[in-house]
Amino acid sequence: MSKAKGKPTIEPEIERKAKSPDEHFLPFYTNAFDRVFISAVILIGIHLLWLRFMESAFPIVVATVISLVIGYVVVRRG
Amino acid sequence: MRNPRTGWLLLSPTLIILIIFGFAPFLYVLFVGFNQWNVFSAEDGLIFNGLDNFRRLVFDEDFLHSVGLTLRFAIFAIGSQIVLGFLLAQMLTRNFPGKSIFRVIHTLPLMVAPIAVGAIWRLLVIPGFGPVPFFLDRWFDFDYRIGTYPDQAMLTSVIMDVWHWTPFVTLTMLAGLSAIPREPVEQAKVDGANRLQVFWYVTLPFLRPVLLTTVFIRIMDAIRTVDEVWMLAGGGPGTRFTGIYIWRVVFPRTDYGYGSSISIITLYLTIVLCWLLFIAISGKSKDEVE
Repeated sequence: MSKAKGKPTIEPEIERKAKSPDEHFLPFYTNAFDRVFISAVILIGIHLLWLRFMESAFPIVVATVISLVIGYVVVRRG
Repeated sequence: MRNPRTGWLLLSPTLIILIIFGFAPFLYVLFVGFNQWNVFSAEDGLIFNGLDNFRRLVFDEDFLHSVGLTLRFAIFAIGSQIVLGFLLAQMLTRNFPGKSIFRVIHTLPLMVAPIAVGAIWRLLVIPGFGPVPFFLDRWFDFDYRIGTYPDQAMLTSVIMDVWHWTPFVTLTMLAGLSAIPREPVEQAKVDGANRLQVFWYVTLPFLRPVLLTTVFIRIMDAIRTVDEVWMLAGGGPGTRFTGIYIWRVVFPRTDYGYGSSISIITLYLTIVLCWLLFIAISGKSKDEVE
């Protein structure tokens, strides 16, 4: 009944899947847990590389900030 | 009507065991990894040192070398096992005289404990005693000493691992091949596909889950290999794999904090490797999901 009054609606799950190719930049299908996992992997990787190559120039806190930003982007839009 | 409480109740014994014997030790190792803990140091007990163990680890040439050797060992050993295992499984799907006895003999190495495998191979290749160096020297004038030449030690470790674990791959592949339905294969043949095309477009997609599981199990085993390689070469040149390096840090040097940090990073590398492989082999593209 309500559909007849307002604009036509689609199921939230179908809507999410329909939007996914445009919104998510990772080349493979992921769910939320996958993206959190990818963020954790990236966080550890960036910290290890930072300790090896960058720490003499910049403190490790910079790596943490960069990792958290990347992690946020991956979780939200990955 | 389903009651979620019953489900959790039935799961609880497994969960409790997993938490006590799996998750809690992991958390403890993670905690120790951020501490300095050496029972023979002047300061007793755990001293929090932040990222110092990891800082030391990324500059530790011995550790980085051991990671390189382990990856090389894993790639060569698992690659050979997959190819050989598949060919043997294909062979075992057909009938030939002596098939049963061949299958039994072929599976025997699986039943041998890794430490015994290492001991057997050491007896085979020890210079001045084993038959392999003796005949290689006599027939080909080839100087075979795994304690002197790192490449020979690595190659021998790979061959030993292939000998030990190929039967496992054969059995899993055989199970996978037996589960493939006949119809798609016959349809492909009727449509004019040659043997390579049947393998690539029909057999391999059906085998993908089995292949993935087998490779995962073998990667995890190969990265943590210690006992058989230790028995074979005693951690000599060319065989100082990550597992052996961790053992050296933790037991003879009693550097528990640093050993824990290396263990954590090794686990990280294993997970990343398996995950990348999982994405490469079975990762669903967005189009497939659509």
